[in-house]
Amino acid sequence: MPMIKAKDLSRQYGNQFAVKDLSFEVKRGEVMGLLGPNGAGKSTTMKMLTCFLPPSSGDASIDGLSLAESIQVRRLVGYLPEHAPSYHDLDVEAYLQFIGKMHGIPAATRKDKIGEMARACGLEQVLYRRIEELSKGYRQRVGLAASMLHDPQCLILDEPTTGLDPNQIIEIRHLIRRLGEQKTVLLSSHILPEVQAVCDRMMIIDKGELQALGTSEELAKQAQGGAFVLATVKGDADKLLSHLQTTLPEMTIVNQEVLADGHAHIEISHSDPDCGLAEQLFLAAVATDVVLLEIRNEQASLEDVFRELTGGTA
Amino acid sequence: MNAVIALCQKEWRISLDTPQGYVVSIAFLLASGFFFGSSLFLNGQADMRHWFAVLPLLFIFFIPAMSMRLLADELHDGTYELLATMPTRTIDIVLGKYLSLLGHISFLLLLTGLYPLTLSLLGNLDSGTVMASYLGAWLLAALFAAIGLFASAMTNHAMIAYIVGLVLLLVIFLITQAAPTLPIFIQDWVAMLGPINHYQNMMRGVVSLADVMLFISLTVIFISLSWFALARRRWR
Repeated sequence: MPMIKAKDLSRQYGNQFAVKDLSFEVKRGEVMGLLGPNGAGKSTTMKMLTCFLPPSSGDASIDGLSLAESIQVRRLVGYLPEHAPSYHDLDVEAYLQFIGKMHGIPAATRKDKIGEMARACGLEQVLYRRIEELSKGYRQRVGLAASMLHDPQCLILDEPTTGLDPNQIIEIRHLIRRLGEQKTVLLSSHILPEVQAVCDRMMIIDKGELQALGTSEELAKQAQGGAFVLATVKGDADKLLSHLQTTLPEMTIVNQEVLADGHAHIEISHSDPDCGLAEQLFLAAVATDVVLLEIRNEQASLEDVFRELTGGTA
Repeated sequence: MNAVIALCQKEWRISLDTPQGYVVSIAFLLASGFFFGSSLFLNGQADMRHWFAVLPLLFIFFIPAMSMRLLADELHDGTYELLATMPTRTIDIVLGKYLSLLGHISFLLLLTGLYPLTLSLLGNLDSGTVMASYLGAWLLAALFAAIGLFASAMTNHAMIAYIVGLVLLLVIFLITQAAPTLPIFIQDWVAMLGPINHYQNMMRGVVSLADVMLFISLTVIFISLSWFALARRRWR
């Protein structure tokens, strides 16, 4: 049974769909990235999965429990809302105590739990400082510690690294990666490398609708849909290409130009990504006595996928 | 129940750790002390009637100041999303907030207990009337707290919550004051439902079940309205 399963989840504000017919599954122990431009419906999706907003239609389940069983679902889920809100007038320890009490963690184990979370999130140094005095990175960690205090099976993190500096981002990523070994994590971001670095799979949503779902390699492949090779050659490029066309008849010449130094730049593609286009090009060069100065398999980057799927709003 | 207690403790902790809790409490005690002292020295009688008569006005200005941030700040700062996604019912959140406020006000009223103690040393104080008046004052404060909480549940801005609470309480107060000039049927309604009238009954030293029940019913109504205002923002 998947940990999170959404079926036709929709949320409407007036006539506007913030999320529309979203269906997906997150496997147990998986780190799933929810990717999309600002206003794509990421936060709304998360608010529904954490039983904060009721869906307009459709349903989702967490560990087999429908969202309608909201109190039970909330016990299973640890949630870090966007901007990691917390009570700035409290110190970190008092804040975590409060969260522990709200979750009904017995007094006997609460202190140990807080210690454990403080260690995991690197909060030991600031445990008795007021949250108000902490840097944004620390506040984010406080939010993470609070979301995990009741040892939830499933973590839902809304933009956990927004507003952090590069060092803090790396720390939080490591932390999430570590957590992902034991828990199911769904995290949202509009930063591609982040999702690529942390997540096992990702889904891209735009205007509230699912655009793509898979590992980063799968998405890149899906977007490109074929093989694409760039090369610089010294010698007779025409002869090389016509030889290549005899071995790969469906190969297309995308671009061919003569460079200033007399070498030729060629771009070729083939609809089948597994046809071995680069390899065939090499063999053809050997057969026609053409020297390959440079040969490069061009992969569609995730940025390309993202831009293509979300209409260039990255 | 865990959540109710946890919320209460959190509110008290924040009140004790931050200046805003002290400022309102100290201002209330200063104002109340001023009215107590001025009536004592002007009349020269061991009597608290004047003080109890002014008390509703103090409540009208100070209780919304104590209640304004209770829910409005949670809604404004996004911490309400945290509360609402914990395994708690909305009514637990409302009750936790309400009881923390009632505790705060009760503590302040308890401190004013020094006045009757002082008076009983100076002269002959009618302790029965004072106790009935205190009960009335406490019930009135409990009702005003529920109204203040309701104002706080309706907006994301503490200042707006203060103004809405203040206006609601002033309307209640002014209707009672203006009742004699209003049409008879309104006068009847005000006499029946106006909390100030029932408080004045209790100030005379008469505690009737009808008065107590009226306060409790109106308080429950405003707590329910606060609950309703919050519940529509959240799922169950």
